[in-house]
Amino acid sequence: MTLSMFDQFQSPSLYGLPLITLALTLPWVLYPALTGRWLNSRVLTLQGWFVNRFTQQLLLPLNVGGHKWAPLFASLMIFLITLNMVGLLPYTFTPTTQLSLNLGFAVPLWLATVTIGMRNQPTHALGHLLPEGTPTPLIPVLIIIETISLFIRPLALGVRLTANLTAGHLLILLIAKGAFVLLSPMPAVAVLTMFALLLLTLLEVAVAMIQAYVFVLLLSLYLQENV
Amino acid sequence: MLSRAVILSANALKGRGHFGAGLVQASRSLHTTSQSLAPVPPLPEKGGKVRHGVFPEELFQLLYPKTGVTGPYMLGTGLLVYLLSKEVYIVNPESFAALSITSVIIYGVKTYGPSVAAFADKLNEDKVAKAQEVKDLAMASLAQAIEDEKKEQWRIEGRALLFDAKRNNVAMLLETNRRERIHMVNNEVKKRLDYQIALQQLHRNMEQEHMINWVEKNVVGSLTPQQEKESIAKCITDLKALALAKATA
Repeated sequence: MTLSMFDQFQSPSLYGLPLITLALTLPWVLYPALTGRWLNSRVLTLQGWFVNRFTQQLLLPLNVGGHKWAPLFASLMIFLITLNMVGLLPYTFTPTTQLSLNLGFAVPLWLATVTIGMRNQPTHALGHLLPEGTPTPLIPVLIIIETISLFIRPLALGVRLTANLTAGHLLILLIAKGAFVLLSPMPAVAVLTMFALLLLTLLEVAVAMIQAYVFVLLLSLYLQENV
Repeated sequence: MLSRAVILSANALKGRGHFGAGLVQASRSLHTTSQSLAPVPPLPEKGGKVRHGVFPEELFQLLYPKTGVTGPYMLGTGLLVYLLSKEVYIVNPESFAALSITSVIIYGVKTYGPSVAAFADKLNEDKVAKAQEVKDLAMASLAQAIEDEKKEQWRIEGRALLFDAKRNNVAMLLETNRRERIHMVNNEVKKRLDYQIALQQLHRNMEQEHMINWVEKNVVGSLTPQQEKESIAKCITDLKALALAKATA
């Protein structure tokens, strides 16, 4: 039972070929290419509007040095949100449930922000380790705590995304299984369970979007500190 | 004529040797598209028609001649029943999850679909409206410029009237000036003549006075003292006579 519930998170492969490559690259075809036209179709117009608004909002607090990261943030957001949302469809594999993928995003990007900070303005970057207005006896302890907090950031980023999505998928599976099993003996309870599943699905849709946004937002915040 | 020869020879060369195909390519006899990208063909205004949100209308049109209106529905039902009964598609907990996510998607599309579409259309329309506004402003200003130019041309036509009026003005000024000067001349001449007259009058008066004075002087001088006494006595007797006459009257 436990094994089959986690089977959905196994990296899929067909005849030894990893299908995760397809899972990672196929969402790309959902987005139409930019034509050279002045007036586009509805989908393209909405896509352009969304990316523009999102990038503008995200880059508002950043100074000009951070604007170099605009394409990275926009594409990362689109990628994560697409993977999360497509993963909610039945019989799909969500690559963002894999800790390897999420850490693979979080660690290099976080390390990039830290390295930029240390290289360009080391004093300012190190200054973040001590919040303003701390009483003097607390300083050594606080520096240690802040350093630990700094190094736990990539882990937190990666694990947050993984845990949220994995938990969501597991819950959906569990409640669906409950409804399925209850259907013959107690149909009324099964209906209630289906209602709960409906609400959970709504929550999962929201979580999918929010988690992707939070990932990118936190990265932009880390960048803001260091640039 | 030469192009015909080229095409014929190219077609003949198609199968010849290893470089036959290359020679054919050079004359574009197998190409179907044009070599120019302009003008860009327009995009269709609306997407393809679909029924029930996912099935393209072309499927229904395809099946209509053979199976009528209910054909595709029968096909769908039969397919579903086949998949379920032959356990090609097994109902498992994932199906319930599928059901819930499908209903969420359908609800989302039905509720927010029109407003999102209207928003996208509005974005495009705003873009067009901005450009249109620029064009309209330009056209309005140009039309206004045409009107102004016509007005200027009309004004030019009235130029002759203007010049006539100006000419009249100038003539009147000149006339006024001339009359003033004549008047002035008149006055001057009259003044001089008056002077002469006054001078003559003065002469005459002086002569008259002089003569009267001379006569008086002579008369007074000619009067001897004897004559004076006689005249005085006469006067006294006259007066006495008068007084007597008066006293008796």
